[in-house]
Amino acid sequence: MSNATVVVVTSGKGGVGKTTTTAAIASALAKEGYQVCAIDFDVGLRNLDLIMGAERRVVFDLVNVVRGEASIKQALVRDKKLNNLYLLPASQTRDKDALTEEGVEAVISELRGYFDWVICDSPAGIERGATLAMRHADEAIIVSNPEVSSVRDCDRIIGLLDAKTKIAEDGGRMPKHLMITRYDTDRAKTGDMLATDDVVDILSVPLIGVVPESKDVLKASNVGLPVTLSDENSPPAKAYQEATRRLLGENIPVTIPEEKKSLFGKLFKGRAA
Amino acid sequence: MKFKGKSFIAIVLAPEQPFDSWFSELDRIIERSPGFFIDRPIILDVRGSNIPIEDLERVLEGLGERSIRVMGIDGISGTRLKDGMPPSFGGGRLTAEVDVPEPDTQAGNPDKGTHKEIATKNGKDASSGETDSAPETNGHSFAKSLDELERETAKQGDSSIVISDHVRSGQSILHPDGDVTVIGSVSSGAEIIAGGSIHIYGALRGRALAGVAGKDSARIFCTKLDAELVSINGLYKVADDFDGTLRNAPAQIRFENETLVFEGLN
Repeated sequence: MSNATVVVVTSGKGGVGKTTTTAAIASALAKEGYQVCAIDFDVGLRNLDLIMGAERRVVFDLVNVVRGEASIKQALVRDKKLNNLYLLPASQTRDKDALTEEGVEAVISELRGYFDWVICDSPAGIERGATLAMRHADEAIIVSNPEVSSVRDCDRIIGLLDAKTKIAEDGGRMPKHLMITRYDTDRAKTGDMLATDDVVDILSVPLIGVVPESKDVLKASNVGLPVTLSDENSPPAKAYQEATRRLLGENIPVTIPEEKKSLFGKLFKGRAA
Repeated sequence: MKFKGKSFIAIVLAPEQPFDSWFSELDRIIERSPGFFIDRPIILDVRGSNIPIEDLERVLEGLGERSIRVMGIDGISGTRLKDGMPPSFGGGRLTAEVDVPEPDTQAGNPDKGTHKEIATKNGKDASSGETDSAPETNGHSFAKSLDELERETAKQGDSSIVISDHVRSGQSILHPDGDVTVIGSVSSGAEIIAGGSIHIYGALRGRALAGVAGKDSARIFCTKLDAELVSINGLYKVADDFDGTLRNAPAQIRFENETLVFEGLN
């Protein structure tokens, strides 16, 4: 009987890479040999099943489990490649009001018994779905893009993590990690993007990883594989693997993996126009 | 445009089951002192009671029959309220007990006696929209920090409060009685509203409204000025109108001859 660490992946803003991050971290943890479950809390707009390539095997979902219409074991979908990675999908036909607080609490506490890590993919926004996803978490990964609106929304979410979660209500403080995604090294050099230092300074949350903007992420989601499984040597996969090691407590400096340019690419850099 | 804060003492009524006997206690108070509830702001406190909406409807109806008009309901999400009900209200802070006319000598009314101080802000539209859309959230974080601070205040015997954490976007610290000191940054989209001065040991990226109770001598201090809006005694300036030289520098802002004066701190 294990007692899982529950991690919520959240951001406030949509489209920043929560689902990609959830899938990548969950599969990287599973590759390390842990029993891992990823939960999709985005009821009504589920995506995690697609990113993890499990959409054709979904029978029951989170809402069925919360309402007692199916058991957790019936609803869990095992990953194609890793047999210690599971997905608890969201319902596509319902909305977030179908989730109840007691139901979610029961689901999470049951999953704690089966797994080492439970990764919750939060929906965007600060409404019911997002607050329920963070409610019972032990740790949070805050996903931000290096631009102001995403950073401000993250700040709002951090405020909620310190006010509306079980840990906060019991007088504790939730450990938080900052993941900067869609980082464009070229744009960072020219200064038309917030630097990672500025984002860390504004949010005052320790950095767990910087994931570069990359075609590999899109490629991976099109084939239905988490980016950490589709191409282990791609820059985003490396960034997520490093972040996972930091989540596991390793103390390694944060690096920004770069796209390897061919000799030709280097020679013709900036001359295309 | 000027907007001022004004604080009123509201009477907080916490309905108790069974409602019939609760109402008959209310009736006894009204009989003793018919004018007690007239022209006083009244808040209904249902925090922690998880009251069904039908019961709440009954309570409001009963209060209406007694000509007690409720201005807001504390402790219930605004989304649960029906049309025509008073709005959800958050962000209160307990103050001393109100003297209740005693219906008879031995029966005390401890719950009815408690009341909260609420500060209303004119020019509500000037405040952030988030405050309106998520009153529960704001009330929560704000009440939490104030609870903690109230203890400190009681110890020190003055009316200043200290927040030893970052104030995040969407959070609002409201302290109409005195100074607010923040050890940490005030994020973009957060606001500090103080009756006295505001001291920020960190970056001020949100709004700071000092001297809202009509105090010209209030000042705003911060170690890094990157504010969206600053205001002293209702006179405000938005970031676009700031003097660019002080951007990201330590600064103080004071009120002088009906203008806001910005000065570097070195």
